[in-house]
Amino acid sequence: MSAVDLSRSEAGTWRASARAWWRTGDALPFLLLAPSVLLILAVIAYPMLTGFWYGFTDGSLLKYGRFVGLDNYVELITSRDFRHALWFSLVFAVFNVVGCYALGLGLALLLNQDVPGRPFFRVALLLPWIVPSIVSIVSWRWMMADERALFNQVIGLFGGSPVYFLSDQTWAVVMVIAIKIWRSFPFMMLSLLAALQSIDRSLYEAASLDGASRWNQFRFVTMPQLRNISIVLALLMTIWTVNDFDTPWLLTQGGPANATENLVLLAYRYTFGRNDVGLGSATSFVTLIILMILVVFLLRRQKER
Amino acid sequence: MAYPNPTPAQRWTRFGILSVIVLVVNLPIILMVMNSFQTTDQLMQRSSLLPHDLTTANYSYLSERTNFWRYLWNSVVASTGSTITSAAAAALAGYALSRFRGRFVTTYSRTLFIVQMFPIILALIPLFILFRTLGLINSPLSVIILYTVVHLPFATWMARSFFDTIPRELEEAALVDGCSRFGAFLRIVLPLSGPGLAAIAIFSFLFSYNEFFVANVFLRDENAMTLPVGITMFMQQYSTDWGSLMAAATLTVVPTFILFLGIQKYITYGAVSGGVKG
Repeated sequence: MSAVDLSRSEAGTWRASARAWWRTGDALPFLLLAPSVLLILAVIAYPMLTGFWYGFTDGSLLKYGRFVGLDNYVELITSRDFRHALWFSLVFAVFNVVGCYALGLGLALLLNQDVPGRPFFRVALLLPWIVPSIVSIVSWRWMMADERALFNQVIGLFGGSPVYFLSDQTWAVVMVIAIKIWRSFPFMMLSLLAALQSIDRSLYEAASLDGASRWNQFRFVTMPQLRNISIVLALLMTIWTVNDFDTPWLLTQGGPANATENLVLLAYRYTFGRNDVGLGSATSFVTLIILMILVVFLLRRQKER
Repeated sequence: MAYPNPTPAQRWTRFGILSVIVLVVNLPIILMVMNSFQTTDQLMQRSSLLPHDLTTANYSYLSERTNFWRYLWNSVVASTGSTITSAAAAALAGYALSRFRGRFVTTYSRTLFIVQMFPIILALIPLFILFRTLGLINSPLSVIILYTVVHLPFATWMARSFFDTIPRELEEAALVDGCSRFGAFLRIVLPLSGPGLAAIAIFSFLFSYNEFFVANVFLRDENAMTLPVGITMFMQQYSTDWGSLMAAATLTVVPTFILFLGIQKYITYGAVSGGVKG
């Protein structure tokens, strides 16, 4: 008897405290975040855990596999495709980050000056960024489709012989990177322009009073002021480039001979091409680990600021 | 920068330089739009860079003989669905990030970073298997769920920065008048952030409409494909039919441009302040 009474009164106090929690508004942040948290659990946390498990099995898309220990990871590390994908992911990220940073900074500096029609230029230079990936690839492909396409006509003007951009391994890599730079520089430009506009003008006035040349002002005032945001932007762009599927897939499907296959494309090919969920999951898990390392750097940077 | 008074000559030189840059940078898009008014035969002759004898033959072919409208409809369904869900979830979460402190809120804020960098391929493999057993493959629901989460970090940060601009005094006054905290959010803050929420919604729509990778994995049947995936069918089936391909790509980009022009002044809010400041 007494036990029943006890539990009933406990339930009563629990309900009362829940009601108080609700009434004081302390519950509100939790309730506001609840839908997002549930979605993230379903779409990020659940796949992350199951994907981690799949990496140790030999299943296919149609049936669950058996536990095979580290077999997938061993196969991955010893495979040439994986090492190549790792290498290409690195090359892709480094060249894209350097390229789109340089281009973005140059244009941001231009746009930060007094120019007629500046709002128009700012918008017009963002177009490559907002165009759907498929549209940008279609438009670029046309310019290098065959021996009489625009790029080859230009090469012909200078007396060169036609280049088969998408069937030559080196040129395919160059074009994937070039298109990725074209698609990424507007973000860099926009962010750096915002940063440039927030630099205190009196720093420049002081510098020019001291007789600093324009170049020295750029070197000793502008660049130090941009240093932190540049590091953050470079890390963000690296993460996005490692994660990029659209550019290499739509342009070359990873070819010719896997020359433009990054880790994401490799994981996709293992899973949906070879129907090997274990190997595909292992590959994407390696990608996650690499990105995690970058994020740790990123968060540390942001805390410092 | 430090030289505040450029001469008119300097200003117009810069104008000229920037005009050339804009033309060169957008050349692929410009050529694509112009070439969509040429038949494939005309294109293959390539007598000149600029189009001549303009024709809308590609567009009527696209409209009458292909699945183009079907793809467009699927895109609209998927984008509208994910816009509603992500704007709603982001408005609630953005308000929490703007007004509340504490360990839970901070942890959530950190989690958004992980979501933003998460290699989506890792989520796609288990979700493909799950959705297959649930019968969600080829259903717009599959991409709507994915897009909602993919947009969440960006949309939440953007919502937060809008709510930050609304003075807290307004809510405090409502609380004094006997409104609950959630009531104050619904009746005071939300109506005031109308333009901000509209911008978030348009951004979400734009991203979903443009998205290829997720749609490519989940929408495999031709009747279920969104536009970006559908266009790849043109590349495979009609591999040399450049005319239709460019007409399809041009039509696809029209809604993107219109939406983008509507929100371009807000773009620094979300993309830059969100992604960079956190």
